[in-house]
Amino acid sequence: MIMRLPRLPIRFVAAALTAVVGITCAGQTASRLPGELAWTIGFDPKTFDPAKVDDQESELVRYLTAGVLLRFNRSTQKVEPQLAEDWSISSSGRTVTFKLRADLEFSDGTRLTAKDAAWSIRRVLLPATGAPVAEEFLSAAGVTVETPDERTVLVHLPRRVIGIGKVFDEIAIEPADRPSEGRLTAGPFVVADYRRSQYVRLRRNPHYSGPDSKEFGLPYATGIRLDILDNHEQEIRLFEHGEYDVIDSLPPDYFSLLKQKAPNTVRDLGPSLNTEQMWFNQAPGAPLPAWEKAWFQNQAFRVAVSRAIHRADLARIAYEGHATPAYSFISPANVAWFDRSLSVPQEDVAAAKAGLAKAGFRLIGGVLTDANGHPVRFSILTNTGNAARFKMATLIQEDLKGIGIQVTVVALDFPALIERMMHTQDYEACLLGLENVDPDPNAMMNVWLSSSPNHQWDPSEKTPATSWEAEIDRAMNMQASSLTDAERKQAVDRVQQIVADQQPFIYLVYPNALIAISPRLKGVQPAVLAPGLVWNVENLRLEGTR
Amino acid sequence: MARGMTMRIPAIRPAAFWSLLALAAIAIGVLALPGRSYSGQDREQLLASASAQHPAGTDALGRDRMVRVSAAFLLSMGGAVMASAAATLAAAGVGTLSAFSPAALGSLAMLACDVFLALPWLFLLMMVRSTLPLTTSPAHSAAITFLILAVVGWPACARAVYRGALELRKSEWMLQARAAGLRDKQIMRHVLPNLTSLLIPQFLICIPAFIIAEANLGALGLGIGEPLPSWGSMLLELDNSPMLMHTAWVYLPIALLILILLLFEGVATKQ
Amino acid sequence: MTCVADMLRWIARTLMIVMMVAVGSTVLVRFAPGYLSDAREMDSRYGNTTRVELAAEAARSASLAQMLSAEFGGWTRGNFGISRQYDVPVLELIAPRLAVTGGLLLRSIAFAWSLALCAALVSSAGRNPSLSWQAPSTLLLAVPTAAMATLCILSDCGGPTLVMTLVVAARDFKFLDRMLRNAWRDPHLLQARAQGLSTLRLVYAHILPSVAPRLLALATLSIVNALSALVPVEVVFSVPGLGQLAWNAAMNRDLPVLLGVTMIMAVAVTFAGMNPDRAGEWQGA
Repeated sequence: MIMRLPRLPIRFVAAALTAVVGITCAGQTASRLPGELAWTIGFDPKTFDPAKVDDQESELVRYLTAGVLLRFNRSTQKVEPQLAEDWSISSSGRTVTFKLRADLEFSDGTRLTAKDAAWSIRRVLLPATGAPVAEEFLSAAGVTVETPDERTVLVHLPRRVIGIGKVFDEIAIEPADRPSEGRLTAGPFVVADYRRSQYVRLRRNPHYSGPDSKEFGLPYATGIRLDILDNHEQEIRLFEHGEYDVIDSLPPDYFSLLKQKAPNTVRDLGPSLNTEQMWFNQAPGAPLPAWEKAWFQNQAFRVAVSRAIHRADLARIAYEGHATPAYSFISPANVAWFDRSLSVPQEDVAAAKAGLAKAGFRLIGGVLTDANGHPVRFSILTNTGNAARFKMATLIQEDLKGIGIQVTVVALDFPALIERMMHTQDYEACLLGLENVDPDPNAMMNVWLSSSPNHQWDPSEKTPATSWEAEIDRAMNMQASSLTDAERKQAVDRVQQIVADQQPFIYLVYPNALIAISPRLKGVQPAVLAPGLVWNVENLRLEGTR
Repeated sequence: MARGMTMRIPAIRPAAFWSLLALAAIAIGVLALPGRSYSGQDREQLLASASAQHPAGTDALGRDRMVRVSAAFLLSMGGAVMASAAATLAAAGVGTLSAFSPAALGSLAMLACDVFLALPWLFLLMMVRSTLPLTTSPAHSAAITFLILAVVGWPACARAVYRGALELRKSEWMLQARAAGLRDKQIMRHVLPNLTSLLIPQFLICIPAFIIAEANLGALGLGIGEPLPSWGSMLLELDNSPMLMHTAWVYLPIALLILILLLFEGVATKQ
Repeated sequence: MTCVADMLRWIARTLMIVMMVAVGSTVLVRFAPGYLSDAREMDSRYGNTTRVELAAEAARSASLAQMLSAEFGGWTRGNFGISRQYDVPVLELIAPRLAVTGGLLLRSIAFAWSLALCAALVSSAGRNPSLSWQAPSTLLLAVPTAAMATLCILSDCGGPTLVMTLVVAARDFKFLDRMLRNAWRDPHLLQARAQGLSTLRLVYAHILPSVAPRLLALATLSIVNALSALVPVEVVFSVPGLGQLAWNAAMNRDLPVLLGVTMIMAVAVTFAGMNPDRAGEWQGA
């Protein structure tokens, strides 16, 4: 059965291969218009209606397109007038007065008056709109808006709201009775085109009238293309090809990769405001055995676990050195609120073991056992798709093996994770991060108040379950109502100290803010607050344009 | 007499077979070496390359790659081979039985296969995960995962086998056999060997597919849990370009997998 | 006439499968963990609005019977529901993506078949399976699809069609190589060779016809393989197709979209498995 190779098919194979390779090597991104900036967003914006924004992507589009009365400067962290020329809060804190700048126009050239501003604010306050921003007025129903003249807007609040100025950073001024989903704005850009799951294209607003805009012809860029892409490999490749101008929040491994390939583009901005933490489920209604709940509600147990974790290793290994060990919810990046004098349970395995022994736990054959003879083992739940987080969980697993605790690590997709965490409470420990968009601890009320559904270790308590949780409630309410900054700082420091003593959240690291900026992009002033790299979008421009 | 009537059992190629055994023996040997564990983290040596201490370097958490690859080889390969064999046998059984059973029954079985193929099983896996306690040990979770893969993996092949078997039914030797009064049971003995050209590739294709599927199920909280090493997860490191830049040792699992698949191919091929 | 009857039977069968798949998917998705939760619940800024949305969904999906009757009722009126995640009609989402994915599938399966067939014709003519043919196809089998796609991106060559083609071709090659090997060994072929027929003639006149029926069996496997490679390929290359949509929908528990996609899958699968007329054959035998 000796056979000669048929000759023709070889030519076939070669031809087929060439055809295949030839046809399949096409590029994918939409081409860039001259002077257009480009970067990526992970998902489709859920809405372009600035009042209904309820996700990060929509929020970015709103930031780039909306004309707002006040802008919260992400770099100085101060509120600055934008469409307003001047603004003031009455001494009672219950009336906010805005004086609009003269000759304001929308992107179609029509005049912007106090009527439009009042209409936009009222629209946000209407329950029918369902605007998430309305909640920040605390009692939206009681707010009234007045327009004594074409350039003045008065907002009367039923009660004082801490940081009310910042709330107006989130209210887009739209033409009265003509909501346009971002296509008609008073901001630097307008929505020009949207291809679902491909890109959002913004066009420069020629009538933009922010501070200095007329003088310098701001914004510099002719437009922005936001590609919808949730894939770091693609993003980095296209960034290297000059298709994208910035990458915000790079994962640490990709940061190192890009640093090798293009060292002058990447920057480590140091600790971000975000935290990564682990916590035990302390909810009394959780479907867990009684003895497990007893461990998790035991302060000595939580402190011992916290002491046994090598945070420096987490930062060095899971984040390749691009993270800072964390012991509190206020990051050192948050200069105004960081508390240097905080006393925290430092990492100390011997002390951890001693603490456990004192609390009645014993080591039997290398296995930690509680006073009733139950071996201590639990699972750490985390989300899929975050490599650094998963590595941290695996490192903690090994750390806790050192004190005799057997840990299983389980990663679930977000909906399944949230269901366990917030609905069924069927989990033992959870490892997640918290993104802080606002340096003011007042924004974390929802995390610390024991009655809040986001009070993760024991959500929606009817009354504070422990005396220390009651004290946290008091201190948080105090900082929300106190008039002096010193008092507020004192209250927040107190909360930090209680959290450090009780360890309801075991803080692990502050991930560093890792970014990449194309050398062609001029005018970037990175800030830690979202949208960190492009907060001064009016001033960004590509080298060689305009 | 048509040639199909002779029994055709794939002859085992001794060299390939013994090589496979030798590989398994080496893996067991590596695991049995004292002072080495698949979970021990040498945190000062991350992604190290080969050294006397770590002959195949270490992974991102400083764990010995040689030990982990060996353990993963035994665990994932064992699981995947068994799951693959089970799925292929199930496909062979369902496919031939429905081809040789009354038409209505066969059509019904294939209908079930089609429905099975189009259902989003991902959600079943999520449900399985949610019924398991979170503290399920990594080994249990691995066993359950491979079991599920076997259960979900057979319908596509069953349908191919069904078609093949229908062809056989119509073939001359089959008619002749029937005419000669052979009973169904006797005929069946000759059917399966004739379908090896469908079954063996299916078996071989399922092995890497299952190994990778196991790792993908890690995203749903199933699969081989940490700290047990999973071969699939090591293979999936290949889609992470920062990893590829660090060390060439990340290619070890894939090279080994190719070698093993080729050996299996050798074992399953007639001389 | 029989042709029309066959057609009708096939349509009836497909409809039945689509219905069963729709019911099955609804049950699976509705009872999968996370159907009534959303990552935005975690964010205190968006938590409340999200909870309102979820409460509405919970009320809508409280009874499975009601859910199913609403679904089927909607379909009879040509209403395929509104995506939970994008808040737009499902048809509007699926239609443009169907074209993208359909094109990708057709191109890659066509390329894969020609590639696999040519390669198998050459390789199977050798006396023994040769390593130079087996090794590349085994390599393609062993590398995870997502990794292959990532490597393409890294090396900056090739795109979704190339990866899909290679994945499908490698699997098809494994089958074809074995089938053709058997065919080359047929006694009548040996005799034909001995009589000096050209190789080309042999291939067209004997080899291809002898494996043709088995090729249909292979079609099912090709399509199933291609469909399973679709999600990783589209996700990694961010192709705006059905695979990417299905993945997003699964991760967001977007039931209306998932139903649309699984129904298309069901039609594709039944199409691939179009059975020869079993009843007629039974009588013929």
